[in-house]
Amino acid sequence: MNPDDFADAFDARVDGALEWLSDHGAAVFDLFDEMLKGLYQAVYWLFSLAPFPVMALLIGLLAWYLTRQLRFAIGAALALGLCALMGLWSETMSTLALVLTATIQALVVGIPLGVAAGLSETLKRIFEPVLDLIQTLPPYIYLLPAIALLGYGTATALVATFIVAVPPVLRLTALGISMTPKVFLELGHASGTSAWQQFFKIRLPFALPSIMTGVNQSLMMAFGMVVIAGIVGSGGLGEVIYGAIRTLDIARSINAAIAIVILTLILDRLAQSTTRTTRRVGHDTH
Amino acid sequence: MQAYRERGLSKKQILQDFGCVVGVSDVSLQVRRGEIFCIMGLSGSGKSTLIRLLNRLITPTAGEVLVKGKDIARLDTATLREVRAKHIGMVFQSVALLPHRTVLENAAFGLEVQGVGKAERHAVAERALAKVGLGDWAARYPDELSGGMQQRVGLARAIASDPEVILMDEPFSALDPLIRRQLQDEFRQLTKSLGKSAVFITHDLEEAIRIGDRIAIMKDGVIIQEGTAEEIVLSPADDYVAEFVAGISRLHLVKAHSIMTSPADYRAAHPAVDLAALTSASPQSDLDTLINLMVRCGQDALGIVQEGVVVGIVTQRDLLRGVQGSPVSEGLEPSVTQLEKSL
Repeated sequence: MNPDDFADAFDARVDGALEWLSDHGAAVFDLFDEMLKGLYQAVYWLFSLAPFPVMALLIGLLAWYLTRQLRFAIGAALALGLCALMGLWSETMSTLALVLTATIQALVVGIPLGVAAGLSETLKRIFEPVLDLIQTLPPYIYLLPAIALLGYGTATALVATFIVAVPPVLRLTALGISMTPKVFLELGHASGTSAWQQFFKIRLPFALPSIMTGVNQSLMMAFGMVVIAGIVGSGGLGEVIYGAIRTLDIARSINAAIAIVILTLILDRLAQSTTRTTRRVGHDTH
Repeated sequence: MQAYRERGLSKKQILQDFGCVVGVSDVSLQVRRGEIFCIMGLSGSGKSTLIRLLNRLITPTAGEVLVKGKDIARLDTATLREVRAKHIGMVFQSVALLPHRTVLENAAFGLEVQGVGKAERHAVAERALAKVGLGDWAARYPDELSGGMQQRVGLARAIASDPEVILMDEPFSALDPLIRRQLQDEFRQLTKSLGKSAVFITHDLEEAIRIGDRIAIMKDGVIIQEGTAEEIVLSPADDYVAEFVAGISRLHLVKAHSIMTSPADYRAAHPAVDLAALTSASPQSDLDTLINLMVRCGQDALGIVQEGVVVGIVTQRDLLRGVQGSPVSEGLEPSVTQLEKSL
């Protein structure tokens, strides 16, 4: 068989299969597409309610509330102001909305599955290879099936981001839940706890630092992916960079890059501060 | 299990033939109400397994565990939970204080699990903390407390639910000697004053003697001797026990009645001595008291008097033998020879 023929045949099959899928599943995919878009738009709407000075101030206040560091809080508010000055305010908010939407979806799925995997060795063994695969492949790959089925746009970006953001929080939740020191499990049983009490009063408090680390990592993974997803028309800063590079508008792409750095730093610090507030809990106390 | 009983295989053989480890086998013991029962054994002897059978942290493969007439091994989950919550308290070697909770919240944990309201459980926990001398530390976190104080919190947590039985799994083993002795005495006093029964696990015979009303010695999952401290020290069941007993100070354990010689023998050897003129002591006096008496009175023999009658004589030689712990065949308390070896 001629290699070219083989490639053509293979491509034809794939095209056929995808066509079949989008023909027969059109309603489902469209609905999915609409739902994701709707969710994103709702979050974005929330963020664009207030004009940028108010929003920047609010984020600064949140930063102060969570970290209690005045310098960081003022810095965050000023840096966000800089984004607006560069004419990238709506894109910055759009990226923020994308990241949060995808991360929340990843947490809603990842934490319960992680808890289940932490409690059941069998489930853990099932999840493990899947997570390994997801984390081994370059994140770029996930844009392909999504764009084939959902088309160019926000929904595709969200799906790909979701896939990338689930593994860290799932893994670390499972780890945290399964690592409860044995003596505390014994304490729970010996005190006559029910299964629910055992989970919420013993296992969960010990798992919290690990889960919070997972949330932080998922957030950061989501951020990276949202920027890459600019290539499929995610909107936001990623798309600005992609567009600017194609037209060799280096200055504008650097502006967008600065905005991305600012947003990453702020989100990372905020997420870390929530981890730190739970520092009293740990596996190493005794 | 059957093979174990019927063929009398050793723990090692069972592991080889069946691939399972014998944790505890053929142990029968009874803990009386208000008694502190010590189980002493080295690591791997099965003592920790045994205490976990008592509240079914480990479910026994065979046998019965009766608490107030109910077989713990056969309770349904709900009843078991209730028995654990209300009737059996437990204190762990590693204390196991929840690090994210204050001392007060830790002490109230058992009540919280039972669904007792916050105000009430905190009030009860405060009283429990006061009993162990930590009333002022309620708002602190466990990592702000020393090891000894942490274990007091563990004890407070166990007594807060007002259980009838307290299981102590080597609670003081990780503490330094001074604090350990102090806690041992306090624990004994507290348990007695509250009228609790306790099963106390330890690898330290001295601790068992200090605390326990009765002591069982375990080896390889089997109890090899059970009795009071005096019984065990004076007549160890085998060489293994004898080795442990060898290092134990007998000053407060051995009583006059177990070392005295009969008045007739003494009179035959020393016809000139008037027995009634000897300084007298009761048969229950320990060696320490006897030595003090003898040193103070300057005589070389003491008369042991019970209800006005001289029932025995303790000479300097008897005393020295008693301190040394050499077997004194005559004059042993009858109960010692009748020691149950019901294993």
